[in-house]
Amino acid sequence: MKGRATRLGPIFPSDLMPLDSGLGEDLRGRSRSLSRWMGWRLRLLVAAALLGCLVWFLLAQGLASQHHIAASWRLGAHSGVVLAAADDPSLKPHVGKVLATLGTGSAVLRWNDLLLVQRSPRWLVDDHDRRRQAPLNDQLRLAQADTALKLGFSDGTVVEVQTVRHGLASLPLAFWLMSAAALAVFLVAMVVYLARPTRRNLLYAAMAVCQAGNLVLMSIESALAIGQPAPFPGLDLSLRMSFDFITAGCMIHAACLHPRRLPNAERTASIGWAAVLSALALSLAGALPQLWWWLQAGSALGGLTIVALHSWSYAIEPRPFALVMRRFAAAMLVFWFLLTLALANTADLPALQHVLATGGPMVWYLFIAAILVMLPFLSKSEQVVREFAFLAAISTLATALDLLFVAMFSLGQFASLGLSLFIALAVYAGTRQWILNRLMGKSLVTTERMFEQVYRIAREVEVYPERTTALLCQLLRDLFEPMELNLIEMASPTSRITGDGSTLLVPVPVLSDEVIDRGESIVIRFAQHGRRLFTSEDSRLADRIVEQLRRAVVYDKAVERGRGEERQRLAQDLHDDIGARLLTLMYKAQSPEMEDYLRHTLLDLKTLTRGLAAPHHCLSHAAAEWKADLTQRLTAAQIELSWSCEIDDDMQLSVIQWSALTRVLRELVSNAIAHSQAQRVDVDFRLDKGRLHLIVSDNGVGRDPKSWSHGLGLGGVRKRIKQLGGEVEWRDFYPHGISCSVTVRHFSAMQ
Amino acid sequence: MALKVLILEDNPVARGFLSRVVRESFSDTIAITEAGDLETARRHVGAATPPPDPADAFRLILVDLELPDGNGMELLTELQRYPATKIVTTLYSDDDHLFPALQCGADGYLLKEDRFEVLVEELQKIVRGQPPLSPAIARRLLTHFRAGSTGSDAGDPAPSALSAGFNSRASPAPRSVAAPDHERLTPRESEVLTFLSKGFTIKEIANLMGIKWFTVNDHIKSIYKKLNVSSRAEAAVLASKEGLV
Repeated sequence: MKGRATRLGPIFPSDLMPLDSGLGEDLRGRSRSLSRWMGWRLRLLVAAALLGCLVWFLLAQGLASQHHIAASWRLGAHSGVVLAAADDPSLKPHVGKVLATLGTGSAVLRWNDLLLVQRSPRWLVDDHDRRRQAPLNDQLRLAQADTALKLGFSDGTVVEVQTVRHGLASLPLAFWLMSAAALAVFLVAMVVYLARPTRRNLLYAAMAVCQAGNLVLMSIESALAIGQPAPFPGLDLSLRMSFDFITAGCMIHAACLHPRRLPNAERTASIGWAAVLSALALSLAGALPQLWWWLQAGSALGGLTIVALHSWSYAIEPRPFALVMRRFAAAMLVFWFLLTLALANTADLPALQHVLATGGPMVWYLFIAAILVMLPFLSKSEQVVREFAFLAAISTLATALDLLFVAMFSLGQFASLGLSLFIALAVYAGTRQWILNRLMGKSLVTTERMFEQVYRIAREVEVYPERTTALLCQLLRDLFEPMELNLIEMASPTSRITGDGSTLLVPVPVLSDEVIDRGESIVIRFAQHGRRLFTSEDSRLADRIVEQLRRAVVYDKAVERGRGEERQRLAQDLHDDIGARLLTLMYKAQSPEMEDYLRHTLLDLKTLTRGLAAPHHCLSHAAAEWKADLTQRLTAAQIELSWSCEIDDDMQLSVIQWSALTRVLRELVSNAIAHSQAQRVDVDFRLDKGRLHLIVSDNGVGRDPKSWSHGLGLGGVRKRIKQLGGEVEWRDFYPHGISCSVTVRHFSAMQ
Repeated sequence: MALKVLILEDNPVARGFLSRVVRESFSDTIAITEAGDLETARRHVGAATPPPDPADAFRLILVDLELPDGNGMELLTELQRYPATKIVTTLYSDDDHLFPALQCGADGYLLKEDRFEVLVEELQKIVRGQPPLSPAIARRLLTHFRAGSTGSDAGDPAPSALSAGFNSRASPAPRSVAAPDHERLTPRESEVLTFLSKGFTIKEIANLMGIKWFTVNDHIKSIYKKLNVSSRAEAAVLASKEGLV
């Protein structure tokens, strides 16, 4: 056991602790984690949170001070921008018209160019478009800075409008949501890193911060209806590229270290970083023609590398975490490919391409941010993950539908959003139960089996307390199908999860006073052969099983004890009350027959009460007592006893067996004493391979047993033997006397 | 001079019966004192505390276990040093009742439901120094002495049954006391006990061991004495531990 414990040791050292399990480890001891949190970590965390909020506030303030036209726009069915709604009374009559020109007195921008509408340069497929966008944006900004603008519509009407300051209240909902998501991602990153400032968690924090940055950029993009506020048009591309490449680098590095350190991890990570950074440098320097294609291909390559690294990791050691990560990475990669393909194929449909280029990346980045936020909690609760997955699926569906409606049917923003949300929720409500049933179907069977097993184990533990550990191991093995199951000498108050969901630690309970508490725990790793992560529900389940087991054993013991006490009370009462009366009667008996009869009754009563009081009798002990009893009685009657007893298995007699055999022997010998006038009684008792054979024979004057009338005594013998499932037969015994032979074929089996 | 006998028995019919058994058993003139409860019995043997005049003392005391005002074993314990043959007369034949009684200093036991002739014979045997030993009692004895010498309970054969209540009071934890020499059984005695526990009769044991019937009986007497001594020693140890002496 010691050997195993030392071999298992390396599961737990801190350098192997996963990159994102800092939170989980705190849950172990509340007081300890609290004291840990009270120090510099908490102060740093508060500082980070304040910083985040400050940036958020400044950003919102900055955007609110921008001038804009108080109107909302939407894309037309064919290219062009349609006025969707307007606060300005002068614009109101023109709702639904396509905008053609926009300008101040000096400069007029022709408004057939979709580049003018919000769009990040990162998602412009064509290099030419990207180069054209920056000056356009500048002009637009200058134009909007003026208070008076002339809007020309496609039907030739020109309207002069006043630009107004945006104001906090009129910032769109999308901005607030996106920036709040960014803040959340940033805070989770800070919490994870500060909880356990290791290199892995640093990597996690870095990628989370980059993604938060991406979200912030998108929120800015969504803040203004047309154009982008300074200085973002210039910075947007380089910031986004930096964020993407750094995230890719961090992910590759993390995949090398987690869930297990790969061979040559440092070298792989260095190669990864070198590739990523050089790509970033080239992109920033503008040395790459067809930049968008390079970026898409580079990101895809990074994703493929990550998938490959996780596959490799899983092949070396099947940790479920690698599998989960690989699934996420693959899903994101597929999304990426689809997005790239869609954008490349919609060059002829600028309106649709525009929608895809705005919505697609937004969904994709939200997805990756959601995964990042979820990672530290992956092993905490299966249910949360499940609900989250549903939520993610539903929002993806809703967004996709929304984009589709906007692009295909030219619906208004709110109409399409409402419709798509409605459809998505309907689909969710319709399929949720079905999906849940699919997920739960298998474990329901397991639950039923587990219930049975818990009770079977409780019975067995009661009888053999030393088998608790082995039985519990078996149960956990059946339940979780782990790849490894070991025992370590480590006590813990409850079950808990370590190794970021790869390992579950279950303390071995002490279910009986007869075994000493060795403080053992069962360590199971890699649930379902490494395909599933342990969740906090699993650990609760393990705790509950242990608790149920404990209760079942305690209950059984209490029932057994209660039964025993009740039997003893009954026996005591019978013995004391009835016994004393029978004795008095016996002393007062008028005739020796009556006296004998009463003595017999008294003996039966004593047998009964002893049987009640002691639930088990060892066969050899019982035989010794039978022999002593018969000897005494036969000696008193001056009859010789020849006793032979051969038993191959010193079994425990049940009360029924013990009392039946005691009475049968007594009855047969009493018969011999009373009627046979024998000088000698032979008792031959044999237990051979579970078969009981008893012969009581005398050399008396009895003859022709077939003609006997079976009174109370011999009838009793028949009854008892029948109760044991055996046969009894009386025969003439050569040269004289009677032999009674009792055979019970399956004596040992009828416990 | 009459042989003084005390019969402590709450059932008057049984008392009469036992008186007949006693009168039948001995040829001496018998003076029987009957007591229906512990209180009366204590009054009769009251002079016991200062060792009584041998001529005036009871020579034979029959004690029932279940009495209206207590258990007969209390009296047995009080009369540890009383120079009389003390016999337990009872309905309880299981070792859980009898063994503590023997530990309290009883010289033997009679089962009240036995036939008159059997009782007479048994009583004579006990007074002559042939105490009865049932297999179950022999097993208990083996455990008792083995536990004293090795400190381990080698499988107590019978779980505490009817007598759990007074059993614990009457037999103060034998395992905690280290066995002095007088308490250990000789190999021969152990052998005899082992045979007895397997249900062999004295005659059979004599045959098996190749010794005389009387020798086996002597071993049994000696075992009895040791039990008595050991329980007295235990009582003394316990008393001094509790500051009673």
